[in-house]
Amino acid sequence: MKPKDYRSDLDPVWCSGCGDFGVLKGLTQALADLEIAPEKLAIVSGIGCSSRLPGYTKSYSFNTLHGRALPIASGLKLARPDMTTVVVGGDGDGFSIGLGHVPHAIRRNVNLTYAVLDNGLYGLTKGQASPTTPKDVKERQHLAGATDEPLNPLMIVLSAGCGFVARSHAGNLPHVRQMLREAIQYPGFAFVQILAACVTFQAPGYAQQLFDKTAMLPEDHDASDFLRAVEMARSDKFMLGVLYHREAAATTA
Amino acid sequence: MSTAKTQPAPGATAPSATAPAAVGLGLVGSGGDGIVLVGNLLLDMAARQGLYGVLVLSYGPQIRGGESAAVIRIASHPVQYEGDEVDLLLCFRASDVRRFEGHIRLHHDSRLILEASDTGALPEWLGDREQATYRYPFAKIENGIEVPGEPRNMLGLGLLCRALGWSDTLAHDSLRARFGHRPEALARNLAAFDRAYAATPGPPMLPKLPVVHGEAPPRVVETGNEAVARGAIASGLRFFAGYPITPSSEIMETLLEEMPPEQGPVVQAEDEIAALGMVLGASFGGCTAMTATSGPGLSLMTEMMGLSSMAEIPAVIVDCQRVGPATGMPSRTEQSDLWHAVFAGHGDFPRVVLGVFDVVHAHEVTNKAFRIAEAYQMPVLVLSDAYIAQRTEVHDPVPPVGLVPPRRTWHAGDSPKRFEIVDVEHGVGAFRVPGTTDGQYLAAGIEHTLEGNPTADGATHHRMNTKRFAKLDAIAEETRDWVRLLGETGAKRGIVAWGSQYGMLREWLPRHPAYRAFLPEILDPFPLAAFEQWSRGLEYLAIVELSFQGQLHRYLAGLTDLRGAHRIARSGGMPLTWADLSRLLGEERP
Repeated sequence: MKPKDYRSDLDPVWCSGCGDFGVLKGLTQALADLEIAPEKLAIVSGIGCSSRLPGYTKSYSFNTLHGRALPIASGLKLARPDMTTVVVGGDGDGFSIGLGHVPHAIRRNVNLTYAVLDNGLYGLTKGQASPTTPKDVKERQHLAGATDEPLNPLMIVLSAGCGFVARSHAGNLPHVRQMLREAIQYPGFAFVQILAACVTFQAPGYAQQLFDKTAMLPEDHDASDFLRAVEMARSDKFMLGVLYHREAAATTA
Repeated sequence: MSTAKTQPAPGATAPSATAPAAVGLGLVGSGGDGIVLVGNLLLDMAARQGLYGVLVLSYGPQIRGGESAAVIRIASHPVQYEGDEVDLLLCFRASDVRRFEGHIRLHHDSRLILEASDTGALPEWLGDREQATYRYPFAKIENGIEVPGEPRNMLGLGLLCRALGWSDTLAHDSLRARFGHRPEALARNLAAFDRAYAATPGPPMLPKLPVVHGEAPPRVVETGNEAVARGAIASGLRFFAGYPITPSSEIMETLLEEMPPEQGPVVQAEDEIAALGMVLGASFGGCTAMTATSGPGLSLMTEMMGLSSMAEIPAVIVDCQRVGPATGMPSRTEQSDLWHAVFAGHGDFPRVVLGVFDVVHAHEVTNKAFRIAEAYQMPVLVLSDAYIAQRTEVHDPVPPVGLVPPRRTWHAGDSPKRFEIVDVEHGVGAFRVPGTTDGQYLAAGIEHTLEGNPTADGATHHRMNTKRFAKLDAIAEETRDWVRLLGETGAKRGIVAWGSQYGMLREWLPRHPAYRAFLPEILDPFPLAAFEQWSRGLEYLAIVELSFQGQLHRYLAGLTDLRGAHRIARSGGMPLTWADLSRLLGEERP
C-alpha cells in the first residue's frame, strides 16, 4: 500500500498551509508503513477543522458529534477489536467539550490511537480561544487576550494513566509519521498531540513563535520513566517525541 | 424450578369452594430489614404452587436506610396490577408506615401484624384496627434496649406463610434454593422462620388460594428490567453500554450477569452521552446494540439520537420513565417522557417509539425494537417506566422471541452509494459493515449526499430528509396492528391509555362493561388507522395517563380529531388505582 491508497477523492476544505494537511499526510504514510488494509481501518472524529480528516481517507470513517469521538470509537473497537481504530480531532473537541471522555477512555485502555491536532483555537467557528490558547494571546474573539490559564493536555493524559504519550509538530512530517506509527503499533490507548498554528486566525509570526518553542526530547530520554515524562510535559519548551511508553499494557480490546 | 407438595399448615382451614382469586399483602420496613427478600421468597413460593403474582416496591431515593415497602398480590390467574388494597399489612415499626399513606391501602377487613413491643399510636390513615391486629415480638429487647436478634424478615415470612396456609416445607425449599450456597445464613433463616411459623396463637388466617398441588407447571419470576435484558440477549444483542440510573440500572446489571461473553461486551460508560455514543460506535461496526436509561439520561442522549437517525445507524434505547423533570422523584413512576421520546432533538429526524405493557411484554417489545432498528437503520426508543421496570411478576414461560434478522448489508456489486435505497421495502441503503473489502465510506452527522459526502446544499438536505422520513411510512404500514384492545367491541365508552396502565385496566374493564380500551404498542408512528376504526361508535372518550400535561392526549390531538375527548391526566408518583380511575371517570363503583 502507498500513502495515496488511503486517500479519498474529496479535496480537503482546509486553508492553504494548514497543519491538518501534515497530519493527513503523516497518518497515511504511517498507515502505509504498517501495511494496514484500508477495509480494516476506522477513523473516527468529532467536529472541527481537523475532524474533517476522516472524509479525506479511504477508511470506514465516522465524522460524529462535537466532543464525542472517543466514546463512539471505544464502542466500535470494543465491539470490533479487529478494526484498527484511529481517533482524530482538535483541542476544542478533545479538551473542552469532550474532555470528560478522555480520562475514561484512558482508564478503559481500549486499543485506540488518539491524535489531537492542537492549534490553540477554534478554527471552524472563526478563531475563539480554546482550552490550550496561551494566556494573553489575542484571539480574534478575545481581543483583550484569552483570560483563562491553558490546560496542558499531556499532563491530563499522563495523570489519567495513559500508557503512550507523544507530542509532534505538524511542520515536521517525518516526525508526525513516526509518532503516529508508534502510536498505532502501541497495544493500548495511545495519545499524540500534534502542534500546529492556525494560518488564518492567529497573528502573523505565531507559527514561528510556536516552532521556536518546540524542542526534541533529549537523546537519553527514558520513556519508561513516568516522572521524567511528567518533567518533560511540564517543560517551558514543547518537548517533541515519545514522552512516555509503558510496556505490557493490558488492553480491553 | 423445584416444586413442593403443599401440606396443611397448623391451624389451616380447608380451602372453600369459593376460593378467592387473589390475596394482597403489604410489607413495610426500614433499610436492612430485608422486606424485599420476603416479597421475592413469597413470589417464589407462589410460583412453586402454580400461582401467579406481582410485587411492587415503594421506596425513596435508592439507598439502604429509610423506610421501604413492598406490595404483593398473589393470584390464581396472571396479574400485572398489585390491587387497590391489601388484606394483610406486616410492619416491624409503626413509625415506618407513616410515609406510605396512599401507596398502601387497606379495606375495612384488612389485618395488621405489628411488633409486640411497639405500642405507639398508629398513623390515622390505618384506621382503628386494634381488633384486627396481631402482635409478635420481632425485636429482641434487653433492659429496654433493642439488641441484635433473629432476622425479623424471616420471622415475618414465617407468620405470613402461616397466615396464607402455606406449608413450611414449601418455605424451606424456597429458602434452600436462595441460601443453599451459604449454609450459616440458611440455618439462621430456617430457625427464625420455624420459630415464627409455630407461633401460638398464630396470626389471623387469610382466605386460602386454590393452589396447584403436586407438580406445579413451571413459572418464571422476574422483573421488567430483567425481561428487557433477557429479551435483548435472545434477540441477538452484541453490545450494551449504559450508565447507572434509577430505575433502569438492573438492565445493565442483568446483562453483566447473563450476557454470554462470546455474544458481546457489556460496558459501563462514564455518562449517558458516552453510553449511546458507544452503542452507535458498535452499531456502526455492524453489531446489534442497545443502551438503557431513565429520563435524565435520555435528556443527555438527545443529540446522539439525532446522530443515529442522521447517519442511519440502528440503535435501541430503553427509557425507564420516572417522575421528572430534572431529578424529579427517581424511584417513582410517570408517563411524562412521551414528548421527549417522540419530539426531542434539534432538527427533523425520524425515530420510532414503543411502549411496554408489562413484564411479559417487555421480552416481545424489546425484540420488536431490534427488528425495527435493524431493518430501518434508525433509533428505536422503548418506553418502560419505574412501575414495570422494578416490579416482579410471576408469569408463564415466554415463548422464545427469536433472533432478529440481520440488517441488509453491502457486498461488492451493490450500489456504490451508501445511502441509495436498495432495500425498497424498508427504504434503506445497504449497510456497510467495517471490514468488508471496498466498502469504505464516511458516516456522518453532517448532512451528506447519497454517497455519504458532506454537503451544505439545501435541496440535497430536503431530498435526504424525504428519504429518511419515508421509512416511517413503511413502518406505519408494518405496525398498523401494534395495539392492544380491551373490553367488548360494542361498548360505548372508550379509554385510550398506554404502557403500564395495561395491567390495571385489564382487570378494571370486565367490571365496567360500558367501557372498552385502546392501548397503542407503538407510539410513533402512531397506529392512527387502528385508532380511528376502534373509536367509531363511541359516545364518550377519555385519554388516561400519568402526565400532568396530558402528553398522550395532546400528542394524539395533533394527529386526529379529539374534540370532546376527556383528559384524565394526573401527575405520576403513584400508579393509578381502580378507585382512582373510577373516580376520575365519574363512575361510582370501583
